[in-house]
Amino acid sequence: MLDRKLSDPALNEGGARAITVPSRSAVHILSNIVAVYGLLVVFTLVLIIFGALRPRSFLSVSNVNSIMVSQSVTAMLALAEMLPLATKQFDLSVGYHLGMAQMLIIGLQVQQGLSWPVASAMILMLSVLVGFLNGALVTWLKIDSFIATMGVGTLLYGISNWYSNGEQIVGMSLSDSFTNMTGIVHGLPLPALYVGVLAIILWVVMERLPVGRHLYVIGSNVRAAELTGIRVSNHIMGAFVASGFISGIAGIVLGSILQTGTPSVGPEYLLPAFAATLLGATSIRPGRVNVIGTLLSVLVLAFSFSGVQQLGAPFFVQYFFNGGILIVAVGLSVYAARRRQRAATTPKNP
Amino acid sequence: MASIAPPAVAIAGLSKSFLSTRALDRVDLTIRRGEIHALVGENGAGKSTLIKVLAGLVLPDAGEIRIHGKVVEPHPDTVPIAFVHQDIGLVDDLSIGENVALITGYPRSWGMIKWKKVWAQTQQTYAAMGVEPPDPRAPVGTLSAASKAVLGIVRALSRKVDIVVLDEPTASLPGPDAQHLFEVLKRLRAAGTSILYVSHRLNELFGLVDSVTVFRDGRHVSSRPIGELTPDDIVRDMLGRELELHKDAVAIGAVSKPLLEVTGLCVGDQGPLSFSIASGEILGLIGLRGAGYEAIGRAIFGLSRQSAGTVRLAGVEVEPGLSISDRIARGIALLAGDRLRESALTGMSLRENLFPNPPGDHGRLFKPVDRPREARETNAILDRFDVRPRNGAALIDWLSGGNQQKIFVGRWLATGAKVYIMEEPTAGVDIGAKAVIHRILKGLAADGAAILVVSSDFEEVASLCERALIIGRGAITGELAGASLTLDGLIARSSLSAPAREEVH
Repeated sequence: MLDRKLSDPALNEGGARAITVPSRSAVHILSNIVAVYGLLVVFTLVLIIFGALRPRSFLSVSNVNSIMVSQSVTAMLALAEMLPLATKQFDLSVGYHLGMAQMLIIGLQVQQGLSWPVASAMILMLSVLVGFLNGALVTWLKIDSFIATMGVGTLLYGISNWYSNGEQIVGMSLSDSFTNMTGIVHGLPLPALYVGVLAIILWVVMERLPVGRHLYVIGSNVRAAELTGIRVSNHIMGAFVASGFISGIAGIVLGSILQTGTPSVGPEYLLPAFAATLLGATSIRPGRVNVIGTLLSVLVLAFSFSGVQQLGAPFFVQYFFNGGILIVAVGLSVYAARRRQRAATTPKNP
Repeated sequence: MASIAPPAVAIAGLSKSFLSTRALDRVDLTIRRGEIHALVGENGAGKSTLIKVLAGLVLPDAGEIRIHGKVVEPHPDTVPIAFVHQDIGLVDDLSIGENVALITGYPRSWGMIKWKKVWAQTQQTYAAMGVEPPDPRAPVGTLSAASKAVLGIVRALSRKVDIVVLDEPTASLPGPDAQHLFEVLKRLRAAGTSILYVSHRLNELFGLVDSVTVFRDGRHVSSRPIGELTPDDIVRDMLGRELELHKDAVAIGAVSKPLLEVTGLCVGDQGPLSFSIASGEILGLIGLRGAGYEAIGRAIFGLSRQSAGTVRLAGVEVEPGLSISDRIARGIALLAGDRLRESALTGMSLRENLFPNPPGDHGRLFKPVDRPREARETNAILDRFDVRPRNGAALIDWLSGGNQQKIFVGRWLATGAKVYIMEEPTAGVDIGAKAVIHRILKGLAADGAAILVVSSDFEEVASLCERALIIGRGAITGELAGASLTLDGLIARSSLSAPAREEVH
């Protein structure tokens, strides 16, 4: 009964919902619901607990807006990271890539006197090239993505330090249209809107288009993907290019928020973005990186960190937070994978 | 021949049961000094169990083993016999010398490895066996298949023993390489080494071995000098009866014009091969496991590069450079043999496993998946193939091997292909799923598809196919069809690799 009730909506939606376990106990079904909606539950708990502990400040408009603005960059980066990760390839260059784009969007306006749309177009073209380079190293030269993207990322770090001579570029006389790009309109922080649009596009791509399924199929079994006629190299290449493109956009947004080009900015965004993507893979669609899980993870991480901060935790707690979450997220997904493996290898009763 | 010295190995009354199965039933086997002794038998005849007992990996229930006249109780560390298995266990990335040293131990002084001695030791080992030593510093990966097999033997013999057991040493060797190996074996024999040679390839035995022992169902059937034997005698002993080379059912449908034509196809060490499959025909491609003949089907699918020849589909050439996805679009499907590594999309739903490459939008990556249609087709396939659980959202991981295989067959059906290359379509699936899959394949053929079953399962080919080609050392060595396509016929033909091609009547 319970089984049926649960499996029908999932069938209509059609995804690989883990709640549709046939002939399993109620406990098992319950644990699967927790697995699917776990992050949502955690997010709600975070809001309730910190909201109760710091009723005036935690859920205030200014606090929520400031989290939305500052986390929009992390969210975009996490979504960028999600694409290569769907094919089981790492892109460790996104943090440095973000930093370079942020540096260039300020520098090209201040030092070269370009208008921001022109500067943005140039940066996005460069971002596509960087993504292409990552993809080429991984698919053509067969360099492990971990190494290849770490190398490319470090090169990008070199470029932004070279361009700025290692110094900060203060964004003097930036046009209003550029700085307003990340302002708050009608109470809505615009960067959050950008994240929303990006998330909808990526959700459609990953959940509704053949190309998204191909990416997941490649991530599940490269060999099988090849044998079903999927052009594996092209897809991995595409994932890296898209990841680079989104990193570039995130950098432009970050430049507009900070209004200063700082060469050392960037690397510190990699880990939170990575943690969010991996933590997202433990929920909504357990076992695979997904858009909604990624966004929820960013929110959970940001709001719980903000709450801890408001309780008086010192600044360095964030490092424990990010590092801890990364380990917990990977640990959970490894555990879930092992459990699925066990379920697959133990004989089933009819 | 009579000599006072006791035989190298004398086994008497050896028995071993696993639970209720008698793997070995009071078998005797005598290997004289300096002879190559062949041990043959079908799968399950007890050859592997005997080897395991000799190696000390399995304790016998009863019986006696004498080596050079002394009763021994084999123990893996002390048994004075060298074993070379089909999978030789060499480390490709290490040098030849290091691979030898892995067995003999590294020569050291002051705890440090003496590399000069490592190289010298390898050369001495080869030289002691009258084999030209390769450069001991070269990585094993650079050796040919035959040289690797030789290295495996040399390495095994470096433990200063004079008895070798070779388990299917030529299974994966191409013809000329096997000849090279035989030369080495003969040289070893001349040097006084005794060799137990386990093989499926009967025709190789002639001109190589001195005597042949046949096992059947765990029993010793015969031991005779090779000079008294013909290939047919050996097959008769293996089967325990006269060969049944005809079956009653002669139900070959009206064969229409060829759908797939293969001419002079060469791929890897296979070929040149020419054959064709008609629309509505199920053709078996059969050979010995590990012989590499599955490359033929893979070349037609575009997975292995063909080096020569042409493939035509419905009269139109399938160009050698054509990609897999283009071939799928042209109507060629390949069910890969390794279910877990090459077909299963673990962690994904049955529906995604059925449609990893959603249908109807070949090349159109950004056109939304037609989800209602996909759900309909998923349910239709699950019903038709009786997949349990009947739920497209279940993960593939939860299914039994047989149900998984139904999904992977269904994956290809959904592409609407015209030519199906099925590698080991029912390996490791239960009887029920096997029946379902066979029914599906026959149905496909009845609807006009051409099906190529690439299999080492003789029973499957005998019951499923209307015609079978026997591949030996990369060439078609026999063809059986209709009434002549029997299990016995396949066993006899594949073991003997008869050079002449029998005309079908």
